[in-house]
Formats: sequence, C-alpha cells, structure tokens
Amino acid sequence: MGVRCVELPGIGTKYELETEKGDRVAIIFLPSRHFQLYVQQKGAAAPSAAEISPSEARRLGSLLSGAIIEAEKEAVEIAFSALADLRIRVHTYLIRANLAGKSIADLQVRTRTGATIVAVSRKGQNTVSPAPAFTFEDGDIAVVIGETEQLQEFERKVLES
Amino acid sequence: MEEIALALACCLALAFVSKRWSLPAIPFYILAGVVLGQSGLALVPADEFTAYLSYLGLIFLLFYVGLEIRPRSLLRQGKPLLISGFIDLNVNFLFAFLGALALGFSLPDSLVIGAALYVSSSAIAVASLVENRKLLLPESETIVWLMVIEDIILILILSLFTAGGENPLAMLATIAVVILVLIAAVRAGKPYLRSLLSRDDELPVLFTFTAVVSTLYISRLLKIPEALVAILLGSSLASTGAPRLERLSQPFRDVFLVLFFVFFGITVDFSGTTSLVPIIAMTVVAIGSKVLTGLLVGRILHGSYAAGMEVGSTIIARGEFSIAFAAIYGSGAVSALLAAVVILTSLTGSFTARFSDRLKRFFPP
Repeated sequence: MGVRCVELPGIGTKYELETEKGDRVAIIFLPSRHFQLYVQQKGAAAPSAAEISPSEARRLGSLLSGAIIEAEKEAVEIAFSALADLRIRVHTYLIRANLAGKSIADLQVRTRTGATIVAVSRKGQNTVSPAPAFTFEDGDIAVVIGETEQLQEFERKVLES
Repeated sequence: MEEIALALACCLALAFVSKRWSLPAIPFYILAGVVLGQSGLALVPADEFTAYLSYLGLIFLLFYVGLEIRPRSLLRQGKPLLISGFIDLNVNFLFAFLGALALGFSLPDSLVIGAALYVSSSAIAVASLVENRKLLLPESETIVWLMVIEDIILILILSLFTAGGENPLAMLATIAVVILVLIAAVRAGKPYLRSLLSRDDELPVLFTFTAVVSTLYISRLLKIPEALVAILLGSSLASTGAPRLERLSQPFRDVFLVLFFVFFGITVDFSGTTSLVPIIAMTVVAIGSKVLTGLLVGRILHGSYAAGMEVGSTIIARGEFSIAFAAIYGSGAVSALLAAVVILTSLTGSFTARFSDRLKRFFPP
C-alpha cells in the first residue's frame, strides 16, 4: 500500500501507511525534530503512540532497513535501503604459507570465485586495490568483498587450496 | 527595569509548573500579571516602555502566524476546510456577539467580544494534539486546518475593524495597496532575500528583527493596524523560506509574547464594572459554542458526533488571539472580561482535550 503524506501546519508532516494486513502505522515529524510513531492494530479502537528522539529514530530506522545487521569479528554485511536485495559482505582473511609467492592473477580469484580483493595489509602497510601482479606473503591480511556465496567460494577454492 | 525582571522571573517559574503538569502556559502568564499588577499587589507598574515591549510580542506572534499561511496548500484542502471554517465563524461569532449584547455591552464592544471569542488558541490546540498523541486521528487534520483558516479570517476581521473608521473605502484601498506592494517587493527581491537569509552570521536575525519592528513604523505612517501589517508581512515573506524565518523569529516571539501576556494581565482592571455573572455567562457561551461547532463539523466531515466531540473538546481553549483583540480594541471592561474568559476556557479546554475519550462516550457510534 502507498504512503499517505499529510501536511499539518504548525505541527509537521504526517506519513501514514496502511499495511497489507490492515494495521495502520503513522510517523509524524515534529518541529522539535522528534518523531511520534503511531501504531494501530486492525480493529483496535485507539492507537498506541511513542515519542522518539532523533538518535532513537536512526537506530530504529537502521533496524528496519537492515543497514548493518551483522558485525562479526572480521566481517560486515552492508545493505542499501535504496537498492532492494543488494547485500554485500566485506571480509578479512589471513593469508597463510600455502599462498605465499602466488599473485592474485595466479590464483584467478575473480574468475574462480566472483569475489574481489580490495585491499591487502602487510605489516601495517596497506595496499588498496592491489594489481593482478600483486604477490602474497605469509601473514598478509586480505580484505575481500562479495556476496556471501562468493566469499564461501573464496574460502574453499583459494584459501584452502 | 527591575519590574520586568520580576515579571519575567514569575513567568519562568510558572512556565515550569505548566510544563510539569502539561497545562497551557498562557493563563498562568495572564494570572501572574493580574496578581503583580494594578488589580492585585500593584508591584509592577506598566509604562510606555513595557507597553512597547509587550506590543512587540503581539507583532512577532502575528508575523509568525503569517509565515504559517501558505495559500497554495490551503487551496488544496478545498471544500471540507470551507465547511468547517464557515460553521466555526458563524456559530462562535454569533453566540459570543449575542451573548455580549444580552449582557448589556454596547454594539462596538459586543463586536470585539464576538471576534475575540470566535478565535480558538492555535498554540493550545496544536500543543494538546501533540501532547495527547492524537495525530493519527483524521479529526486532528480537520482541527489544525481549522486553526489555519481562523488565522485567515482573523486578517479579514482586522481589516474590517480598521475600515470601520471614518473612511472605510480609503482604508481598504490602503490595505490592498500594502498587500500588492509586499507581494511585488518579495517577488522581485526573492533571490537576494534567500541569499541574505542563508548567511550564517548575524545578518539573518538582524534582518528578521528589523523587518518585524519596522511594521510598527509603516503602520503608523499609513494609519492601518500594526497587527495587520505584521501578519501580511509574514505571509508574503513565507515564500522565501518559511521554516528558516520561523527559526529566526521564534526566540523573539517566545520572549516578547510572554511579556505581552504578563503586561496585559498587569494593565487589566478588574475593579470596575466586572462582576462574576458576565464572566461565568460568557465562559459558558464560549465553551458551548465551540462544542456545538465541533459536533456539527464532526457530523458533517467525519460522519459522527463522537468525532465532533473530539474536535470540539480540542478547540475550546481561547488564548493568544482573544487577548490580541482585547489589547488592540478592548475597552477596560471588555479587556477584563476577555482576560477572565481566556483563563477559564484555556484551562477547561486543556482538560477536555485530555479527557476527550470520556466525553466521546456520550455519543456512541
């Protein structure tokens, strides 16, 4: 269902949404920069309301849009509210001796897995967008970007080769 | 000078109390004035200087009201707004006007009382909708737009009152010329005004203050009321960036308006002809007429008297505009009556708005 937008002079703007199941949700932007969030269950006589501060609204908003839902130790997943279904993971991996002396071109990372190595950290020195000829050493940390499946391929085909 | 400090300190303390209990602050400011002023302890005298400061409060209030008037979004509201505005004006003006006549006020005094009690307090109504979490209700849209249309009619009433003098046509012509000049000036200077207002030094604030204060001079020059010039200035400047201008003028409005209410209370003379009977009678009429307005509007626009009770209970409170009418046009007895009615209706209105659910039970769907 569409969002109905109503101007309330002296108060702010009201955005009202009737969900598919017939519940009503409304958000009002107050002049104090706070928000009022109304929820009325289908068939209920009166709505419930909560007043939300700007920082609370941001947290709630990122929860609902799923901006950063996973922040494990070495990976983050990013979703873009404007681009539905686009989820990208950024993962860091430790390069071990089995890959030492091999270049990115040798490993054919992109063609075999779809993932991309966007940066390598070597003893505190960072190389952003390493060239295909870049050769790994034992102890490098690679920053790899891709979809979840592509990163799994990278772990299986490249790291464990 | 210490009198102003004393008055403001009292208002500050009372503002704390009113916010703490979620009550409208306006009646407290007026009451503080009454207690401090000539009808009470006579601690704070009013002089030319305090009169000027409090007049600035009125001018800033009306400038701010003008900023909120945006003809285009008003036109989009269409017929429902016309219906509610028409009912509101007729019912409330007639009840208060006839009530005042019946109580023995003169014809001009009754007209002032009618106009003053027709206008609800936008500030109190809007605050109570937010405070009582009523914004999801469709009635809340009807109410806030009704408050806007009242502001428009306020301009018309002020124009008519002004034109009621010795030379009505010349006066209306002057007002029309002022409107056209303001619109033309703002349209021509829009790019310059926009860039002036978007600066981050003191110029935008200085410009806003100067523009509003100079309405006092312009209106004296052209012999039309300051109130009218201020409201027209606001609505013509609104196109250059109303939110920015609202932010710039709000601190002035807030402070000077408190002074306006408290010094209005200080100058009100309750010792004269006023007794309790007309005060109670007019309060009952004022509350009754707004409830009736609400019921009619609710029945017609929302299909139920219960919705009407919601509207009615929110618009009972009279406030800033009633006091404005009393300050500009009211004689001693009229000012005292209006002060009392504003205090009583604003307090009553804040409770009826809060407990409208219980009042609505009298009107089962």
